[in-house]
Amino acid sequence: MKEEKFEQPGQAPLPFMEMFEGFRAELDEHHDRRERIIKASRDITAASKKIIFTLQRVRTLGQSVPPFVVKGNAQYWEIIEKQYQHIAADVQGLNAFRYPQITGGNQEFMEALSFHHYLETQTLISYDDAKARVASMSGDTGAVLLTPEDYILGIFDMVGELMRFSITAMATNGKLPAGKPKKEVRSAKKEESEDQGADKMDVDEQTPAATPAEEPRNVLSDLRALRLQLEIFEPGGGKFGADVKKKADVMRECVDKVEKALYQLTVRGTERPKGWVPDVREERRPELESY
Amino acid sequence: MSASSGMIDPAIFEDLQTKVDEDTAVRDELKDIIQALEKQNRNISFVLSRAHSTPYADLPSVLKASEEHIRNAIETVSKLAQAASKQPYYKFNGMWSRQVQDALQGILFWAWLGGKDYSGSEAKCGRLLTLEELGEVLKVPTNLKDKDEFHITIEEYLIALTSLVEELTRLARNAVTLGDYERPLLINQFVKDVFAGFQILNLKNDILRRKSDGLKYRVKDVEDVVYDLSLRNLVPKKGVKEKQ
Repeated sequence: MKEEKFEQPGQAPLPFMEMFEGFRAELDEHHDRRERIIKASRDITAASKKIIFTLQRVRTLGQSVPPFVVKGNAQYWEIIEKQYQHIAADVQGLNAFRYPQITGGNQEFMEALSFHHYLETQTLISYDDAKARVASMSGDTGAVLLTPEDYILGIFDMVGELMRFSITAMATNGKLPAGKPKKEVRSAKKEESEDQGADKMDVDEQTPAATPAEEPRNVLSDLRALRLQLEIFEPGGGKFGADVKKKADVMRECVDKVEKALYQLTVRGTERPKGWVPDVREERRPELESY
Repeated sequence: MSASSGMIDPAIFEDLQTKVDEDTAVRDELKDIIQALEKQNRNISFVLSRAHSTPYADLPSVLKASEEHIRNAIETVSKLAQAASKQPYYKFNGMWSRQVQDALQGILFWAWLGGKDYSGSEAKCGRLLTLEELGEVLKVPTNLKDKDEFHITIEEYLIALTSLVEELTRLARNAVTLGDYERPLLINQFVKDVFAGFQILNLKNDILRRKSDGLKYRVKDVEDVVYDLSLRNLVPKKGVKEKQ
């Protein structure tokens, strides 16, 4: 005990020591929780990145991902689930918003989850579904919270993945990935609302483009739809506002790149040798989550 | 937005926008209260800073003048607590923690000067309010663990305590200037006791750590004052204990 150093003979023991000992115990608990969350966030981020990496090898859209992806990524989904379970108890009740350090992991997971979901269903996973997914992975202790901010920032990053996915597809197959025909919007909407999480896959109607007039939606039209939504979204001020502003610039660049690549493909498509890669630099997105 | 018909359910972003807008509204409501508190903190500190130029015997006048401002701050903190308790505590607490710390520091200094126990006679210096006592003064809970409501945290209390030490370091010198050679001794002991408490905490690299790292210099500053006094035989031989 360091306090002894301060004790002088004939004097009462230090007056505030008991109080400080109580503080020490609680601060230690707090720091332990914080450490666990920082570590979980890092592990979730790393595993999510690996999932995304594997997903970038998918060449199809609107159907369940190929077995090699399912198999390869199973371990990473497991890691993420384990990490969420590990910290679930630390972020309950009063502590639900106490450790913003989880946001990095949440955002990266959101990116992986929404990308996976998009590849299989060609739709954007909803916030409620994503939140429910994280909650279900958190185990019985209680849900780890995925905030609307985590969701939005993750979706911004997903645009970058769709860009990479599009460019790779154009380079290897010579065309932009597209899904099922756009016919009957009503049934498509219904199916979307029934979608629970990313697991459910669209097995129905693999019918090839129905009529030549009804062009199926391609990634670029989806990217544009996303861009529209993300651009009219008002984040308000604060850190979130600043994060959105930064990510919005990157997002616009990503859509531009796909548009440029498609232009090149259209203009010089017939001239280009097979395997030719469109000239788009891939810049690394700035890391926003630095904890 | 027919282009998005299949890709994005428009309700997704409409709902998110609503959520974010609601948070913005909460922030706006809190901001007004917090600004009011900031103003009252300034008033408290303005009045209490007269303690640095007021002889010990006249302290009651300073304490009296501060009463009204402290009452105002207590009222505002209650208002803040009411508004903030409707929300998850840690979602918005970053907005007000600095102002709450300043209010705590004002009240800690006021109590140290004898404001808490003042009974109409001489002011009695040297009291440290505990976190719980501060909560009683402010009429808000402290260090909650099971309830998600507004409260004063340990960290806020400790940071306010470091500010109190800084204030007292200044007071030790100014007391000497006023010819008061006893309070520096009282402050010396007090600052050392607080420092000893901080020494047993395991702090991480955060604001509390930085604040607490500064304490050792304050301890030394006050020691220097006491040293200067003892060198010149100015330290009162006895009576320190009685006068406290």
